[in-house]
Amino acid sequence: MLDTQQTIPAEGPFLETRDLHKHFGGVHALKGVSLRIERAKFYHLLGENGCGKSTLIKIISGAQPESSGQLLINGRDRTGLDPIAALDAGIETVYQDLSLLPNLSVAENVGLSEQLVEGNGRLFRRLDLSRVAETAKRALEVVGLPTDRAFLNRQVETLPIAIRQLVAIARAVASEAGLVIMDEPTTSLTKREVANLIAVVRRLQTQGAAVLFVTHKLDEAREIGGTGLVMRDGELVQECDVTNASNAEIGFWMTGRELKQGRYRTVPMTSPAPLLEAKGLGRSGAYDGVDLSVGKGEILGITGLADSGRNELALTLAGLAPADRGSVTLEGRALDLSAPFAAIAAGIAYVPEDRLTEGLFLEKPISENITMAILDRLRSRLGLINHNLARKAAQTTLEDLHIVAPDVDAPVQSLSGGNQQRVLIGRWLATEPKLLVLHGPTVGVDVGSKDTIFRIIQAQADAGMGVLIVSDDLPELLQNCDRIAVLRDGRIHRIFDAEGLTEDTLYTAMAGHGIDDGTTATQTDSEG
Amino acid sequence: MTSVQNPPSDAVAPRGGLRNLWVWSARHPAIFPFALIVLTCVVIGTINPDFWQLANLFDILRASVVRGLFALGVLVVLASGGLDVSFTAIAAFVMYTLTLFVVNAAPWLGMAPILVIAAVAGALLGSVNGLLVNVLRAPALIVTIGTQYAFRGFLLTFIGTALFMNIPASMDAFGRLTLVKVISDQGLAVELPAYFLVLVAAALVTWWMLNRTLIGRAIYAVGGKPDVAARLGYRVERVRVFVFAYAGLLAGLAGVLHVTANRLANPFDLAGTELAVIAAVVLGGARITGGSGTVLGTMLGVILITLVSSVLILVGIPSSWQTAILGGFILIAGLFFAQLDRIVES
Repeated sequence: MLDTQQTIPAEGPFLETRDLHKHFGGVHALKGVSLRIERAKFYHLLGENGCGKSTLIKIISGAQPESSGQLLINGRDRTGLDPIAALDAGIETVYQDLSLLPNLSVAENVGLSEQLVEGNGRLFRRLDLSRVAETAKRALEVVGLPTDRAFLNRQVETLPIAIRQLVAIARAVASEAGLVIMDEPTTSLTKREVANLIAVVRRLQTQGAAVLFVTHKLDEAREIGGTGLVMRDGELVQECDVTNASNAEIGFWMTGRELKQGRYRTVPMTSPAPLLEAKGLGRSGAYDGVDLSVGKGEILGITGLADSGRNELALTLAGLAPADRGSVTLEGRALDLSAPFAAIAAGIAYVPEDRLTEGLFLEKPISENITMAILDRLRSRLGLINHNLARKAAQTTLEDLHIVAPDVDAPVQSLSGGNQQRVLIGRWLATEPKLLVLHGPTVGVDVGSKDTIFRIIQAQADAGMGVLIVSDDLPELLQNCDRIAVLRDGRIHRIFDAEGLTEDTLYTAMAGHGIDDGTTATQTDSEG
Repeated sequence: MTSVQNPPSDAVAPRGGLRNLWVWSARHPAIFPFALIVLTCVVIGTINPDFWQLANLFDILRASVVRGLFALGVLVVLASGGLDVSFTAIAAFVMYTLTLFVVNAAPWLGMAPILVIAAVAGALLGSVNGLLVNVLRAPALIVTIGTQYAFRGFLLTFIGTALFMNIPASMDAFGRLTLVKVISDQGLAVELPAYFLVLVAAALVTWWMLNRTLIGRAIYAVGGKPDVAARLGYRVERVRVFVFAYAGLLAGLAGVLHVTANRLANPFDLAGTELAVIAAVVLGGARITGGSGTVLGTMLGVILITLVSSVLILVGIPSSWQTAILGGFILIAGLFFAQLDRIVES
């Protein structure tokens, strides 16, 4: 603490951390992180789930205090700052959930913080509405959003997600932030929206702001360029130029082990025994005339843009959104997909896209989460659950799927994202399904966990299970599938053999134009 | 601004005239109670043309004062994502204790200091709710059910159960003060009492606070997403204490006005009227889940409830029907606002 209150001119780093530590009870989440963030530079914080990335971000943005260490902003010691002080110091965080207030207007979401920070969080003050509007207008202009009154007064919850993302960034712009932290900003965006986001971020940079991305998407990190900060087990293990570092290198730094590159599907399935057959499947407003087949031991990918009907098709197979027309058979027998329990009884397991809200019981122990769908098999003659049997079944799943957990009684929320996802997959594998439907199996999952999940999927297919992966993660589909069906405007546009297929071909089929078309323009295309 | 630079224009402009109407009403939920008020008036007025008199309007406004003050408090708490059912107990506590005190210890006390004391006492009791919600991290509904019983139990056990009619002179005089006096066709004097102005003032102050101060926006922010609001630097716990204190303040005022209007202090009064007040606020377009609601809508909701529950008698509709009609309105409101959300979100 010798250099407290030292003032350093603006050419020093914007932010510097020195030997930051964070303990949560017995867990040592950050083990001495020292880093420097220079003005107007891009950074990409890379690492597996649970490596300490989020903890670091939370400390920098004032959401959590550090256990020890120092935090300097503009050369001044700002150790132990709270959210208001962080905003005041020019640090804006765009969390993955965007941290927007859904019931307030665009103008308020963008322009209120300024006055809140000015008053140092004091609430009993008059609000200058015209200043809110003016600040919002200026910031919205920068990110290329409309600045008319109708848009300013629009409630944020009525906006499509890509626009909301830009509104969240506009808030960062409004505060003339020195550092903007973006936590997985592109997870729910289409390629074109991502391109627009990158253009906006470059504009931020020209205004002198440093941008720190937290991301799993190495391709996007490369496209943006800048410094990669790789974390593992609470330590900063490597700084690199992301553009020049290969996937294999970064994967190795992140996990400490060699990760497989290229295709996981090594022995493609040719003419498999038929399992699932869909004929003329249609659901009003979603998709129509869908003919599909998945064979035993085959992995079929289904992709398309967000509004192509792929999500609805996945829900149909899970029994969550019944089709209006057409027929589905499993092993030749007509399939009842009117409700989830009917689909489960028929031998279909559905792993939903959003594990947090649609899949897991976060506060419940791992064992209960895993055995949730097989309670029938675990009960005694009296109808009581045999808990020993349940724990044993859960233990087996833990080992089979390499889930890292203290024990089967730990609550699922104590696990990292990748391990949570494996618990969810484990629950459905425990039902010994004939067909496994995976909806976005690795959304928000790091490369190490991805690797494990892909190996699990392959092993299941090799054992004869039919697998259907519904996803917009094209590399994931190319690495894992035998065939990939592309939906466009609710119809099957084409079915490709995945072997030798390129991402460009696949994307062109999805969008009807190439990846580079239209990406230089800064406008967004809304989907709302 | 060119059209190219105006990308989400189709996200901004809804499609179709009917959809436009829905979107417009989503932004102006007060239209719903307003439409029901008009409908009810037209129906009653057609059945019984005697309904169209100034006397009835004044009756409705006068009968709306206490409920309206309660409703403004409920609105503020609901907007912050909480729920308060203890306000009637606070009002009863303040009105009875204060009246008893003034009669026995300070009969010379004027109306202004009485109102101030009622407001402060109400705010203190209300802030107990807020502090408990913060400390116990319990749902506001449970906490306020608890404090409702606690306040009422304390009042009846330790303060008194006897009704008394010799209310302090200043309160009696204030209750008789008229704002407007009109002689009706039948030659009867029709009066609008001055204490109606307290509701008007409270509505204006609440509107100003919700829309023109930082605390107002903070209340909606906390009601929308408390964790996000905290992350953005809004002091969530302070907002909670404030909204319950504010609701308590209004309840304290309402209690004193209740005594003033009825010229008697009964510790058993007001109990059981909570749901009608909450219903009025919800009819006015506030979501029970928090983050929304307007003063205008709330006031119209209160007038609607008062209209149905007090004026229907005047035109000879049996009181058993009032309850049924009220129930029907609330169900329609639930349906209407749920449908609105679905249409606007799609």
